[in-house]
Amino acid sequence: MNILYVEDNKINAMVMDKMLSKEHSKITIVENGFDALKIVQDDMPDLILLDINLGKNQMDGCELLKKIQELPAHKNTPVFAVTAYAMPGDEKRFINIGFDQYFSKPIDFPALLSEIKKIRITKN
Amino acid sequence: MVLDTKGGIQQLNNCANASFQSDIPCIGTSLYSVVLDKYESVLKEIIQKVTSGETVLNQQLKFPTTTSKGILTLRLDFSLEGENIYAIGVDVTAADKEHQALQATSELGKIAAWYYNPITKELFWSKECYKLHGIDPEDVERDQKGFYNYQEEIRDRAKKYLYELLETKQPYDYVETVTKDGKKTYLRIIAEPVFNNNKVIFVNGTVADVTERQEYIQQLEESEETKKLALKGIRSGLFDHHIESNLVYYSPSFRKMLGLPLKEEFLPEETFRKMIHPDDVEEALARHLSNLKKESAYYFNHYRLRHLDGKYRYYEVYGYCKKDANGTTTRLIGNLIDVDKRKKNEQIILKNQRRMQAMINNGFVYTFLLDTEGKILLTDDISIEIIKEDFNVNPIKTAVRFIDVLPLNFKNTFADSFNEALKGKITRKEVERVMQQGNSQWLEVKYTPITDQDDKVTTVLITGLDITERKIAEIAIREAHNKEQELNSLKTNILANFSHEIRTPLNGIMAISELLISEEDPQERDKLLGYLKDSKDRLLETINNLSNFSEVETIKTDLNLTKCDLNFTVETSYREYDHLAELKELDYKLILDENSPKVAINEQLFRTAFNNIIHNAIKYTHEGSVIITITSDATQNVSIITVKDTGIGIETVNLRKIFDPFVQESIGMSRKYEGTGIGLSLSKRYLELLGGTIEVQSEIEKGSRFIIKLPLCS
Repeated sequence: MNILYVEDNKINAMVMDKMLSKEHSKITIVENGFDALKIVQDDMPDLILLDINLGKNQMDGCELLKKIQELPAHKNTPVFAVTAYAMPGDEKRFINIGFDQYFSKPIDFPALLSEIKKIRITKN
Repeated sequence: MVLDTKGGIQQLNNCANASFQSDIPCIGTSLYSVVLDKYESVLKEIIQKVTSGETVLNQQLKFPTTTSKGILTLRLDFSLEGENIYAIGVDVTAADKEHQALQATSELGKIAAWYYNPITKELFWSKECYKLHGIDPEDVERDQKGFYNYQEEIRDRAKKYLYELLETKQPYDYVETVTKDGKKTYLRIIAEPVFNNNKVIFVNGTVADVTERQEYIQQLEESEETKKLALKGIRSGLFDHHIESNLVYYSPSFRKMLGLPLKEEFLPEETFRKMIHPDDVEEALARHLSNLKKESAYYFNHYRLRHLDGKYRYYEVYGYCKKDANGTTTRLIGNLIDVDKRKKNEQIILKNQRRMQAMINNGFVYTFLLDTEGKILLTDDISIEIIKEDFNVNPIKTAVRFIDVLPLNFKNTFADSFNEALKGKITRKEVERVMQQGNSQWLEVKYTPITDQDDKVTTVLITGLDITERKIAEIAIREAHNKEQELNSLKTNILANFSHEIRTPLNGIMAISELLISEEDPQERDKLLGYLKDSKDRLLETINNLSNFSEVETIKTDLNLTKCDLNFTVETSYREYDHLAELKELDYKLILDENSPKVAINEQLFRTAFNNIIHNAIKYTHEGSVIITITSDATQNVSIITVKDTGIGIETVNLRKIFDPFVQESIGMSRKYEGTGIGLSLSKRYLELLGGTIEVQSEIEKGSRFIIKLPLCS
């Protein structure tokens, strides 16, 4: 299972790395949308996790999602929003934009891992 | 006289010969050549009748003579004997003479003549006399001389007059009316008796058509009556002023009206002068005299006159001056006309006009009355002045179309509303007028059509009501409403932002805690604990900011200002960041104000606000300098603190919004500043609470300059 995680907060990125490595997944972490777009050209991740707020003057998760969906190779790649935006209505908004799943921070890791498992089963 | 059937004379007896005189060629000549021309046709008729076997009696024929007799008149009876015509008669020249004279007179003039012979009881009418009585003289039997020719209605009267004359021997003269074919003719009949031995032996008379004269007299009588009735009815007075005697004739009804003496027709002018209103008399007299002196004959004057009831009424005087050869007025004839009603109406109209103008001037800011072509009929004084100034024309004196004196931006709305008004519809519009001073005036402009009795629009009234105050209040309310909404969304944003900023480190803390539980490698554990501390610090910072922010609302009421030395306060803050700046190897400097400025502040609030600025300056400057300068501006009575860095700078589009909490970046999902972003907005709020201001100048990649101003205290 090949996972791409786009996250600018180093601690959160490290935490995700540790959590997903336990589940025998290969995880690639990048800090911004620009690097993420470079990676999805060569590599073919099975799942993409996107933080929304990627820092000052940076492409945010929503813009990145749009760009990824425009790529024919990734038309069917599942993309999850993993974000600290967790006010009422936020989940609905992100799903409407086109994310397949929405996980608010602090992340419910068991739920996230279970979704990843489902994808793996479908793949196999 | 014996004639042949062609009128040729065959024989004449002695008497006839003597009558004709010897020098007239007789036997063998035709009677036609002998008789007067006038009688040729009569003779022809006679001969015709006689030759056809009739006997023709009592025919008068006239012949010329060479003697003093003049015209010979013969009365003849004609009869046919075999081949010859016998004419037997008498010379009636003498009897016919007077008749002839009358006839001649009546033929010359339009007067008819008649005579009456009381001895023979013959009444003779001249031809004209018949005509005047409406009878064709040719139709009359000559024998019936008498009264039969009179129309029945007047016959008895004619007899009566004539018989009376015979008795009284007095001439008479009367007018008789004769009606023929519905036409009335007036005949004046005059009779004069002729006496012999004091006995009337003859009556000479004339009849004249006096219809024209009679009608004229009647007309005169009628017009006299009209005049009398008119004078009775009108309130005006005719007068005739004889200047030299200074006596005046006034028409009776007028004298009655004024209470002037009725018995005397002429009154001294002074009597009349007393009736003139004391306020008017001087001017009236001056006008009177100048009227008499001027060259023109036409006279005009006006004044109030006292009536019998004691009330004064307005009069106008129109007259004509009769002048003598020297041009001096001798007589003034004229008419005094009562114009009281008109004068009073004029006064009422003027009064109403003034009232209306007052209403126009004071009811609305602007008022215009337009005709259906859009021309200004009436407007208020202010508008007149504005139009005069802008267009150099007085809209009341010169016909001006309203649209031509309107500012360009009003022309379209005017045209729309005006057209609606012409259709009879009222429209109301709010417009903003920018005045010369540059400030706005809000007007509620109302177009009201005014209709005549047939509901046709004749004029359009445009009124402008000043609603500036109301409009300003409305705008203030709207702005307040917008602000409230903005604040609401700001609150939501702030909450969302804090939520985000709390959840981000919390994510780390929770996950790390979990990892720590299962992590056995001591080195990894230390590393995780280090991450845990970072996350914890960030969380704490966020929460501190949040409590500061909520504090602002409560601080307002309880500021506790104390007087401090700004140099000292700023230096304390400056030293707090010494260490941080040194770590980044920045040129970190403080330049104090030599005047050691004193300000009244709450030191804790100021320090919180100011520290934020220094902290940001160091945070966003990776190399170069952060320099803090304190100066004073005595003219503005402020102390100025400048914090200048060579950091990353702020984009121009964001500069204005930099002090708004989160507003700049946090609306939407891409918040581009790290942290809560509460710092600068908080600094601004605190400084404003202390009566200060903060502004920023910045250039991207070059650095920023924050300028704080605080009021100095003595």
